[in-house]
This record gives sequence, C-alpha cells and structure tokens, in this order.
Amino acid sequence: MATIQSSDLDFDTIKSRLKTYFQQQSEFSDYDFETSGLSNILDVLAYNTHMNGLIANFALNESFLNTAQLRSSVVSHAEVLGYFPRSQTSSRATVNLSLNVTDAGRSATVTLPAYTTFSCDVDGTTYSFQTLESYIATDDGSGNYDFVTSVGSSNIEIVEGTLKEKNFLVGDVADGQVYVIPDTTIDTSTLKVEVYTTATDTEPLATYTNITRAVRIDSTSTIYQIKEVPNGYYEIIFGDGSVLGQQPVAGNKIKVTYLSTAADAANNGSVFSPDSDVTVTVSGVGVDYPLSVTTVANSSGGDDKESIASIKNNTTIAFASQQRMVTAEDYKAQILANYSSYISDVIAWGGNENEPPIYGRTYVSLKFIDGLTDDQKQNIKDQIVNNLTKNLAVMSIDTVFSDPTEVYLQLTTRFNFDPDLSNLTTRGIENQVTNKITEYFDANLKRFDQVFRRSTLLTEIDKISPAILNSRMDVKVQLRQDITVGTALNYNLYFPVAIAAPSNDEYIVESTRFTYNDQTAIIRNTLGSNTLQVQTVGGVTLVSNIGSYTESTGTVSLVAFNPSAIVGTQLKVSVTPANQSTIRPLRNYIIDIDAGLTTTIAQVDYQNTRTTLA
Amino acid sequence: MPAKAFSIEDGNLQTKSIVAARQRQYTDIDLTFTNKVTGDIYKKTNSAAVKQAVKNLLLTNRTEKPFQPYYGGDLNRFLFSLSEDFDEDDVKDNIAAAIQNHEPRVRVRDIQVLILPDSYDVKVTVIFQVISTSEVVSLDVSIARLR
Repeated sequence: MATIQSSDLDFDTIKSRLKTYFQQQSEFSDYDFETSGLSNILDVLAYNTHMNGLIANFALNESFLNTAQLRSSVVSHAEVLGYFPRSQTSSRATVNLSLNVTDAGRSATVTLPAYTTFSCDVDGTTYSFQTLESYIATDDGSGNYDFVTSVGSSNIEIVEGTLKEKNFLVGDVADGQVYVIPDTTIDTSTLKVEVYTTATDTEPLATYTNITRAVRIDSTSTIYQIKEVPNGYYEIIFGDGSVLGQQPVAGNKIKVTYLSTAADAANNGSVFSPDSDVTVTVSGVGVDYPLSVTTVANSSGGDDKESIASIKNNTTIAFASQQRMVTAEDYKAQILANYSSYISDVIAWGGNENEPPIYGRTYVSLKFIDGLTDDQKQNIKDQIVNNLTKNLAVMSIDTVFSDPTEVYLQLTTRFNFDPDLSNLTTRGIENQVTNKITEYFDANLKRFDQVFRRSTLLTEIDKISPAILNSRMDVKVQLRQDITVGTALNYNLYFPVAIAAPSNDEYIVESTRFTYNDQTAIIRNTLGSNTLQVQTVGGVTLVSNIGSYTESTGTVSLVAFNPSAIVGTQLKVSVTPANQSTIRPLRNYIIDIDAGLTTTIAQVDYQNTRTTLA
Repeated sequence: MPAKAFSIEDGNLQTKSIVAARQRQYTDIDLTFTNKVTGDIYKKTNSAAVKQAVKNLLLTNRTEKPFQPYYGGDLNRFLFSLSEDFDEDDVKDNIAAAIQNHEPRVRVRDIQVLILPDSYDVKVTVIFQVISTSEVVSLDVSIARLR
C-alpha cells in the first residue's frame, strides 16, 4: 500500500516524499510538473509540514539549557537550577573626599549624605556617580574634614548610575501580585527594598535583603528574590509568609530604589566633580562649602548583563556547587558568579596540594581585569571572604589568597621558507609568524590551568602559508624576581616544570644583565654542572658559586646575591625545561610570552634537491 | 507506388499504428475544485491540464512559490507599473521566458499582448502546442485592477 514518508524537515525532501507517493498511484500524473495544479497543492502541504517541523524543532531546542538560543529561555533554565544571571553592573571608582572649613564655630563633624552625586566625563559623555551610603568627617582641628568609611578608611567608593525609585502598594495576598520593575539597566547589587506599613509612613517597617546573601531562612526572615523576566525587566518576589520568609501584607507600601547604569560605557573615568556643595553648620547656620575630590582609582567594573554563553557555563558549575564552597570548582563558580566584572579567572586548591602542604586552608588565586588598583583588589578579596567563604565554605577552613605567578616563555622559532611560493618577503613572513604566536597565546594561554603544547603551536605556524615548509622551536621558561640591590640576599625561584640536566655544550640557566662589582654581568650555570656562576657578558667568571639549580624540583637558588644594579625592574631568570614539548602550569601559575625575548628566524629554502653537501 | 512488405513475424505492423515513444497522459486536479455528484472533484486531462498549468504559471508572481523565488509569469507586476515603463514586447518576453523555463510540455507559437492603460487592463493570448500530442491550444488571460 502506498504510504507517505514524512520524517524529514526540509521543504524539498518533504515534497519529494509526496511525489513518491503519487508515483505509486495512477490517478494523477502531473505531480512532477512545477506548473501543475497538483504541484501547487503539494507546495502547500510540504510548506505546512516544513513549518510545523521547524517550529517543533525550535521549541524543543529552547527546552534545554544546552541548545536554547533565546536569552529568556536560557535565563529561565538557569533559574530552575538556582542560578540567577548577573544584571548590568555599575562602574565603580574610589575617591578621597574632604572639606576645608576655616570659619570659627564650625561643627565638629560633617555628614556627607548617601546618594551625593558626582559628574564624570568619559569619551565625551557625562556620567553620574554617587555614594551609596552616608559618610562622616571629623574636624582635625585646622578645619580639614576627611570623610571616612565606617571602618575608618578614607577610600570611598562611588558608583555610576541614575538613582530611580519605584513604589508598589500591596493588594490582597490572594491576588498573587507580581512586582515588576520595567527597567533593563538595573544593577541589582544596588537594589534597596523597604516595606512601609502604610503608603503614608515615612519610616520603613523593614528593609529586605537579597536571598543570595541569606544564610538561614525562617518565617521571620525579611528576604526577597530578584530575577530577570522574559522581556529583560526584573521581578521582585517575597517569601510565602511562613517558612520561606516574611511577606508584605495588604496595605503595605514597597519602596524600591536602585541605580540604572550605563554599564561598561562609564569605565575609565578619572575626574569626578561634585554636583553640589556640602552644608556645614557654622555657629548654628548652614553654610555651603565645596567638596574636594581626589581620585584614587579610575572607574571600572561596569559591565553588560551576563552573556548567554556565560550563563550556560556558570549555571552547571553553580548547580553542582549547590550554593556551598567545598571543592575547588565551587570556589571558582561562586567567585565568578558574583565578581566576574572584576575577575577574569579563578583557580583554587586545597592546602594539602600546596607546596609545602598546609592543612586547613584553601588557596585561591584571582586574575583581576586590567586597571584595578591594589586597594580595589584588596576590597574584592575582603568581600569574597566576608560575603562568600564565611557563609558558604566548610567551617575551620581558612581562605588564603595567593597572587598569580606569571611564568614567561621565551620562544626561538626557526622555519624554512620558500620565497617562490609566496609574495611575502622574509621579514614579512617572520612578522606573520610572530603575530600568529601572539594570537595563539592570547587565545589559548594567559589563564589558569592552560597548558602550552609546542606541537600545537607549530601546526598553527605551518598552516600560515604553503611557503612555510617546516618549523621547529626552542622553548625556555622564565621567571622574574624582584631584587634588592646593595644587600646580599638569598633568592629561590620555583619553576613549574623540571629543568633540563646540565649539558657540556649549552647553558641551561641564564639571567638578564645586572651590574656586579662595576661590571655588566649575568648568571649562568657552569657547563656540565648545576652550579651557578656570575660571569661577565664576555664569559669571565666573577663569582664561581652563586648558588645552584635542582633539576627535579625546578628550583633555582641564588645565595648571597648582591648586585649593585639590575637592568629593568626585575631580574629575569630563564631555564631550559626538561621537556620543551609541554609546559604545564601548576596551581597559580599563568603562562605568558616574553615578546621581547622571543625571536622568529626564517631560513630561505628553494627546495633545490640537486644541491649536494660540500 | 509499391506496397510495403513485412515478414510473417512483423506482419501485424500493417494493422497497428507504430508507437515510437511511450505516450503519457497528463492528468491534474481541476483547480476550480468543482465537485461531481459523487463528491469527487473533476480531473483535467491532456491539453486541458496543460492549459490550466500554463495559466497557473502566468498568474503566479515571483517569490510566491515556496523556495522558488524566480518561478512565475509575474504578470501582476505590470499592473502596478507605470504604463510608460513597459510595452507589449516586455510582457511577451516575460511570458516566453517563464514558459520556456518552467513548462517543458509546450512549445510557444505566438503571444499577443494588448495593453489598455486607460482601463488598467492587460489582455494576453498565448498560443502554444502541446509537444506530446502536437495539439495547438490558445489561452486568453486578462488581468485588470479591481479599483
């Protein structure tokens, strides 16, 4: 019996299946002429089936986190797994604020109110920054008032954004009211939710906190959830009034204040001008004085909403961590979920894996984005400890931050180049190879846990042009050490790889230049030995034993090293690794390239096979 | 005139016509969808089927047929163009190209076009031959704006 096969999705195949059906019966024969009436009817049938198939396919794709394309679908799947994607974030700057009041009768303290605004020009556009809390300054006796935080720091954070306020009146609970803020540019970390008993009250009944900062929830908890809804707006959800926290009751007023931000457009602002003066009470009368602003750190950290790709990546890790910090991946997930606008990469390891092992600790290394000051970095670390690890990590496990250690590679690349197969000059092809190496490092390295594999890079180089016939690469690993000049000190450099055994032909350990006894010198190992010497550039030994290196542990030890000056800011010590093919970083090491000491050399090769050896 | 002589085995050729190629009967649905008393719809066969197909082709606009944007006679386009922008030859060329590209069953004999700009009307007569039967068919198509 003739049947219609309809398992395909594309129009042509569906129509072809319908034609196959008509081939099997004799009633109509014009099915395969495009002009026929039957063909027109087949068009309609096939198009209908095609569209239904596509819609079913799209709908199914949107049903799973892995395949969803629409932001609303991805956000919805993430929320089911307990992950709330990051909203836009405001750019934040650190400033010192002060007043100078010389009039007699001035008050002892001055308060700078919350939401004091400052203007800042970035790329021709003026952005508004503001304080999120009030600060107090005390007269130093000379009329100078320096505003400080509650913990006494003069570094005050100002946040970009426009202050907005929304008020909701709570109706009957049975109505199931939904509180939607019709704004896609909210920085949810600046959200403040206050509940008033009635619409006319001026003092809030309670201030609610975000559920992500809640450690324990019971019927008395004043918590709220904020989540992104399908059209990009935000919705506030309260507890159920019983076990999941308090619920505002009918007649209450909910007041929501937040900053609407310009995201990353306001980054890199450096000059902040106060929009108004500060009123100081002088002899009982309010007098306005100009606020003095000194920028400590330029604005940074402003970012768009978390991207779809990032949500997909972080949701699964965050779900696995279950809002607890137990494994190394948990630390990575929680820190990136909360501070990804400041931190580009995180790695964590247990104290048992540390060198030397120290139990009861978790080591965390953070790779910050460029442009942050030390104060800002320390502030982020403090926030991680106070907001995350103290609440979510295992008791009695301390969090210790370890700065990333940059390990640089010095690459010497040689390749054979046939000019007949390319219109590039030797210098041109060398530049292309150098650019390819830089691209490779940008794309594949410069992050935690990324392994350098020489053959992979050489494959990329060989693919640049057919004119590159073959290539090879010598790899050296370099660490940089701060040196105290004029003082004899011991230095230990820990390389993340084993060092090659001594050779009678080439030096395994070499340093950059420094001044020693008024002579320009370098450190090298003695040929065929692990002993390190100070030698002049010409090879004359100045110190026969300045330390040694240990192959298996990858350690270079300098003993009583006392140069009078060094070239550059740090001494660069490079070693030949035991295995040049694979450089695997340990723990907090990040592999980068020393572009200044990386060379690319083309060897012209016309592939003339008739040439014989002399 | 000498008579043709056939062998004994081939003698029956004198009594039956010689069919050089397999004849195919064209059968198509009647697009008027008029139904018989039995409830079935009528069929169009042979030249009637081809004539319906040619009319169908000429009255189809470009991009109207799914996934075949260049299919169609596109005559409606002329109705909404300024009358100075085209002439009878343009319409003829358009029709001839459409039939040649999409209707392999016919050979066009003649195309007559009458443009009546004052009444917003184009009258077309296409005379074509159905290749398999050599039957010559005339098709009149008139397109006019409703208002």
